[in-house]
Amino acid sequence: MRLHPLTALAVAGATAVVTTAVASWPVSIAVALAAAVVAMRARVGKRVMPAAALILVPLCLSLLVVHGLFFPEGRIVLAQWGPARITAEGLEFALDLASRTAACVLVLLVFSFTVSVPDLVSALAARKFPPQFGFVLASTLTLAPAIAARLDRIRQAQEARGLVLRGGPVSRFAALRLQMVPLVMGLIDDAGSRAQALDARGFGAAGPRTSYRAIEDPPGQRLFRAIALILAAVAVAARLWVSWPAGASL
Amino acid sequence: MSSPLTLPNAGPAAARKRRILEILGAAAIAGTYIFLVLTQPEDIANGPASFSALIALGGFLLGAVLLIVAVLPGLPTSTVVLIPVALVLNVVLGQLMGSSGLPFYIDSVGTVLIAVLAGPAAGAATGALGSIVWSFFNPTVLPFAAGAALIGFLAGLAARSGMFRRFYLAPVAGFVTGILAGVVSAPIAAFVFGGTAGIGTGAIVSAFRAMGDTLLAAITKQALISDPMDKAIVFVIAALLVYALPRRATYQFPFVRRFRVLAGRTPVPAEADAAGA
Repeated sequence: MRLHPLTALAVAGATAVVTTAVASWPVSIAVALAAAVVAMRARVGKRVMPAAALILVPLCLSLLVVHGLFFPEGRIVLAQWGPARITAEGLEFALDLASRTAACVLVLLVFSFTVSVPDLVSALAARKFPPQFGFVLASTLTLAPAIAARLDRIRQAQEARGLVLRGGPVSRFAALRLQMVPLVMGLIDDAGSRAQALDARGFGAAGPRTSYRAIEDPPGQRLFRAIALILAAVAVAARLWVSWPAGASL
Repeated sequence: MSSPLTLPNAGPAAARKRRILEILGAAAIAGTYIFLVLTQPEDIANGPASFSALIALGGFLLGAVLLIVAVLPGLPTSTVVLIPVALVLNVVLGQLMGSSGLPFYIDSVGTVLIAVLAGPAAGAATGALGSIVWSFFNPTVLPFAAGAALIGFLAGLAARSGMFRRFYLAPVAGFVTGILAGVVSAPIAAFVFGGTAGIGTGAIVSAFRAMGDTLLAAITKQALISDPMDKAIVFVIAALLVYALPRRATYQFPFVRRFRVLAGRTPVPAEADAAGA
């Protein structure tokens, strides 16, 4: 059975929200491991893991340095050199936040690497989302490789005319300008003609639209989606109820 | 009279509804920020600020989505088509700057470019949409959608008030934008992630923490050191790109023509040109 894109989105979003609301590192690590297993089962593990590592490794290192060494609120001091002190509270805080972020990032990456973007776009359009949103989402994801290839061609053309990246900041900046200006100029020109073509086909018009792509939305999944969203709402409400700051009376 | 061959125009009621959504979106972002600063946890050692994280995520994302829903349907097609281009440019130009060995972190050239060419509303929508679209590859940018929208909005305001007519005014506008955007994004970095993603910025935060600042204060101060400089550079690059474009390209945008965003004489319209020839 194929998952409706909105079901997958609701599950991923609800998982991330519940993990944030629960805020305990064993739960976060369990969620992160579960997301990794799902990624492996869905055969996107080889793409999700490097992407997640690229995001999480610098963040975790930074958290470890900031909270591991400097945590003025900490009381249990494990070691101390001058102004830097390793405190148990600081390490626990770093672990809490790193595991929570890791869980959320992995869950959302599994969603975005498994979802079919055309399906997601038509599912959103069927729910009265502005059609321009679907256009921007799908168009960005298809334009990215095309623009990268175009930049490569511009660089080759400029290198054929003698562009060399070297020297101080000024000459480097001049070389950058030689690549950026033709790229931006060409893209804005292209966008102008694309706008005319889209307008001629009624893109900017108000009113209902029909979709070429019909996506099955079985009632079982609708119910599942509703339950996931209610669970997330309950988790948020419980967290707000438990730790509403005493001083706030808004 | 509407003939069956033409599509109906959106009425004033739809425009009013969009205006209300726009105001609600901006109010959600501003309200969330004020609430977070007023209720920031006294002692973060008691837990990972889960309450503040949920409020920050919810309020800022709601504001960003409201802004998108309000602004996007009202934009002309020529602007909507430019948004994906700007989003890719944000990333491609950032990587290009990185590969050139210049020590800057630049990720919003495309957003500022759109704001200069198409106005504050388009800039805000581009900023917010950019965060949502790129969260497909890096979910940690999603919570910063409100800050990105603010950058686009302020860049558009700067362009409307003529800051891009003179080359030396652009970095000033960028500096001010950086201050505001940094301050608004700091609660996200503090409460949702507990820090910043870079080792260099992390070192600055550590220094302020070592002096006994709260986490929010330390990250806000770090943002006030890094962001204004970064945005000043971004505004300069966007200004250089806009100046380098031929007038045929820039003056096709009604916003540029109406508010005389760029210095110099407005080119003669094509019809008048043809009549004169």
